[in-house]
Amino acid sequence: MRNFVIWVALAIALIVLPNLVSFSQQEVLVFLTINILVVASYRLLTLTGEWSLGHVVIMGVGAYASALVTKELGLWVPLGIIVGGLASALIALALSVPLFRMKGFYFLIGSFAAGEIIRLLWKRFRDPFGGAKGIKGIDPMPDFSIGIYQFDFFEPVSYFYFSAVVVALCLWILWRIEKSPVGLTFHAVHWQDKLAQASGVNLRRYRTMAFVIASGFAGIAGALLAHYIGTINPNSFDVEVMVFVLTWAIVGGTGTFYGPILGCVVLTILNEIVLRELGLEQTRPLIYGLILILSILFMPNGLESIVQKVTRRKDAK
Amino acid sequence: MFSNILKKDLSRRTFLKSTAATALSAGLPSIALAAGEPIKIGFLAPLTGATAAWGAPGLSGCEIWAEKVNAAGGIKIGDNSHMIEFVSYDNEYDPAKARTGATKLIREDGVKFVMMLGGDTWPGVQPVADRTGMLFSTLLPSDLSPETTTLLAPTEVHPIYLVTGVQWLAENKPELKTAVMCAQDDALGLPSVATYLAAFEAAGIEMQDEPLLFDPATTDFAPIVTRLLSTSPDIVCLDTCYSDYVHPICEQLFQQGYKGQIISATADFYDQLIAKTSKEFMEGFIFQFPDFDDPALNGDNINFDDANGFYEEYNKRFPGQWGAVSWEYAAIMQLWKAGAEKAGSVEPDAVLAAMKDDGKGKHAFGDADWWGTEMFGIDNALVGDWPVVVIENGKAVIKGFKSIPAWYEQHGDLLIKHMSAYDQMWNQRG
Amino acid sequence: MFELLAQTSLNAIYAASYISLVAVGLVLIFGVMGVINFAHGELFMAGSYVVVALYADRMVPFFVAVAAGLIFVGLLGLLMERALFRPLRDNPLGGLVASIGFLMVLQALAVLGFGVRMEHIPPVTQDVIRFADKISIPVARVYVIVTAFVMLSALWYFLKRTRFGWALRASAQDPEAAALQGISVTQTAMIAMFIGAGFAGMAGALTAPLISINPHMGHSVIITAFIVIIVGGVGSLEGAVLASVVYAFVHTFVTTFFDGVLADITGLALMLIVLIVKPTGLFGSADRA
Repeated sequence: MRNFVIWVALAIALIVLPNLVSFSQQEVLVFLTINILVVASYRLLTLTGEWSLGHVVIMGVGAYASALVTKELGLWVPLGIIVGGLASALIALALSVPLFRMKGFYFLIGSFAAGEIIRLLWKRFRDPFGGAKGIKGIDPMPDFSIGIYQFDFFEPVSYFYFSAVVVALCLWILWRIEKSPVGLTFHAVHWQDKLAQASGVNLRRYRTMAFVIASGFAGIAGALLAHYIGTINPNSFDVEVMVFVLTWAIVGGTGTFYGPILGCVVLTILNEIVLRELGLEQTRPLIYGLILILSILFMPNGLESIVQKVTRRKDAK
Repeated sequence: MFSNILKKDLSRRTFLKSTAATALSAGLPSIALAAGEPIKIGFLAPLTGATAAWGAPGLSGCEIWAEKVNAAGGIKIGDNSHMIEFVSYDNEYDPAKARTGATKLIREDGVKFVMMLGGDTWPGVQPVADRTGMLFSTLLPSDLSPETTTLLAPTEVHPIYLVTGVQWLAENKPELKTAVMCAQDDALGLPSVATYLAAFEAAGIEMQDEPLLFDPATTDFAPIVTRLLSTSPDIVCLDTCYSDYVHPICEQLFQQGYKGQIISATADFYDQLIAKTSKEFMEGFIFQFPDFDDPALNGDNINFDDANGFYEEYNKRFPGQWGAVSWEYAAIMQLWKAGAEKAGSVEPDAVLAAMKDDGKGKHAFGDADWWGTEMFGIDNALVGDWPVVVIENGKAVIKGFKSIPAWYEQHGDLLIKHMSAYDQMWNQRG
Repeated sequence: MFELLAQTSLNAIYAASYISLVAVGLVLIFGVMGVINFAHGELFMAGSYVVVALYADRMVPFFVAVAAGLIFVGLLGLLMERALFRPLRDNPLGGLVASIGFLMVLQALAVLGFGVRMEHIPPVTQDVIRFADKISIPVARVYVIVTAFVMLSALWYFLKRTRFGWALRASAQDPEAAALQGISVTQTAMIAMFIGAGFAGMAGALTAPLISINPHMGHSVIITAFIVIIVGGVGSLEGAVLASVVYAFVHTFVTTFFDGVLADITGLALMLIVLIVKPTGLFGSADRA
């Protein structure tokens, strides 16, 4: 019962939230919602102890796939988004064959190389990927009405509601996976590499499974992004974007489900709203860099460790 | 609860409509400027990150321009004078951030006109432009398409003006018959390659080799130059290489013993190029962007007010930083100011109508035509004369202004042929 | 054709020499500290800006400026070690994020100090050694090749023949055993950071008159260095040097005979193939993965 009340309160808060902020903050809110799915799916992969630098490119695969099937084949946009997720999962499955011959640092760099090759292929093949300019004029989500509310997907508020529902659903599935026996095995793969192997767990299969699932959700996030801004290009998914995802996850902390999400929310608000409002537009990279350094030095376990401290103290009382 | 949301949404919808339709002002509250209220202009370009060099120097140029205009009393709209004020938003050359920035500038800051670099960022902004009817400008006319009714390319009609340099070259050095070309593989490089190919073909200059493409992240140009020189060409064409490429390429051409003609879109910091190579090597280098202290820019045909003074002021504040980006945004502002004063209004559609009135416009380099139906699907590019600049005795000199429409009249089919081969026509782009 | 092959080989030797200076530093840092230094490209950039500040702006002799670049960037390395990597010694991912933060700070400082546009450095020498009509190499490039050769040899001697070098190799191989042997982990980390960063800085300083200098130039350098150290095997200095040579030749020849974009794809594909065939790189051992 208590949980139910909390969820309802959260849902109401999310419905009200975009109506309390300014227009440009509504836009930031949409991108933030999509990025939450990116970073939460990234965490699923990190559960197995592997860190990828290709996650954002995989997200781009979903964006390209969904953009192309809706634009070229006229597929209905919501179906396109699902196709985007599937395409990313499939590409991840194919990539897992070479990539999971590697571990640790090698996997990190190997995934980076695989991603760069995909990006170079997008650039190289102007048909159908549009080359360096990418694809523009991607079909928006078709508007519709549910009686009391008219969805107009140009409006950030409408798209926020739509993406929030999709992302919430995805987060719920990710959470269920993590709590399932499979998810617990992911943890085991990370912490007790040798032991898990000795007890007959096929490590590679579980790593691949985590990689494919995480990639599928990243693909959905990419498709959500593509149908909102209406344009994608290879630079939208380059390593600089990946670096942001990585820092959100690590600054937030990857020990808990909410850690990376917390990192994403706090750092995005800081970079896109607070620093801009303070008129520090051109010095943002400097301040953001300093914040990264300070937070990793003084909160080595991420923002989540602070939340844990606070809740634990409460429990103790 | 829900009815509240609905109402709120509706009221915003009305707001949107009113922004789009203010000039019609059919009973809607007018958002006309109050007397003495400053006019806000949006500057939506990369100010940080690797593309910042295409935005930040332009903002500095605009500020110099605004100070001058404001000191002279500002912009006269009807009976009132208004100061100009720039509001900038750093879009980091990212379409999503550009969209956010456009929303902020238009809906929160109340700007009357937005200047952009364009390129990757424009398609993200386009839906916002459609809905709000806001007037935008871009430096890259390849952003234009039949749908972009409120987007203007009023200064740099890249890459079409490149034909003027080749035309001048063919007229003045007819003995040069063979060429090679290299370009970075990106949104600026490819249409430019197609244009040079068309211009060379029109001038009867033969390409020795396919254009050599390189990745924008290239730092060592020795292998590229070795390849270029392997066919012993008369002309080396540097396409629209950024200064970060032009300099090391020229340095390598010099070191590897090249002595022939070089043609390029730009030669920013050419004094440094001379220092890195030699005065003799750079003599006769053809490009398209003059220094604004050139006496030819005092002519009656030039519509950029006091070009020499602007150049002097810019160099005083940012010594050694002059480049094409420095003046282009300011030149757009000049055109906009003329349009607003003519319209007696700062509302986007009134200014747009006044600017495009009678199909002519006052381009920085002379009166020009609104043009581009064939190339871009819409006549929102301002095309007229463009200067051909040659380095003579260590100094860039305007050798003359050549008409782009006149070239196009004769050789337009060649341009369309090569543009199509590189998938760069408006109806081929995404 | 022979001329083209010869000239392309000379181009490749030059590319190999500066890439190996960068890659060796990156390997050394990873080997001893176990941390991926994402800011390595920006250390290269910092070296170039030292030459801008001293040689171009203040007329300091070029080689003095290069030495200053080595020392200044080496000190930056010490700063990173002391302020970032030492407190995060048990947290390699933390080290990664800290180096990303450091990268952003260095880039931003370069923008604040020098502006977003490219910097200019007057040529050190314009002399060219000409072997034939179309086979030549500028003396400025010979400087880079010779210096790289001398410095890499000196490093090799230092690592193989001195006690410090022995300690460094020992802690690179097995930090715990090295600590039991009485080797100070902190001391070896400081030496490794100084040398690793200093080499990157020196490479940036040496090549400064030959490349375009801007605050974001480190990006392409780090990507090349990553490819090279993967091909060579992450823990191996010899591997890094050899892989630099292989990469430089492949990249240069593909650029000259096909095009530059294809060269990048080939470089990445080369690395993926090595990773698939021998996941620890040509010279790597499995331990440090």
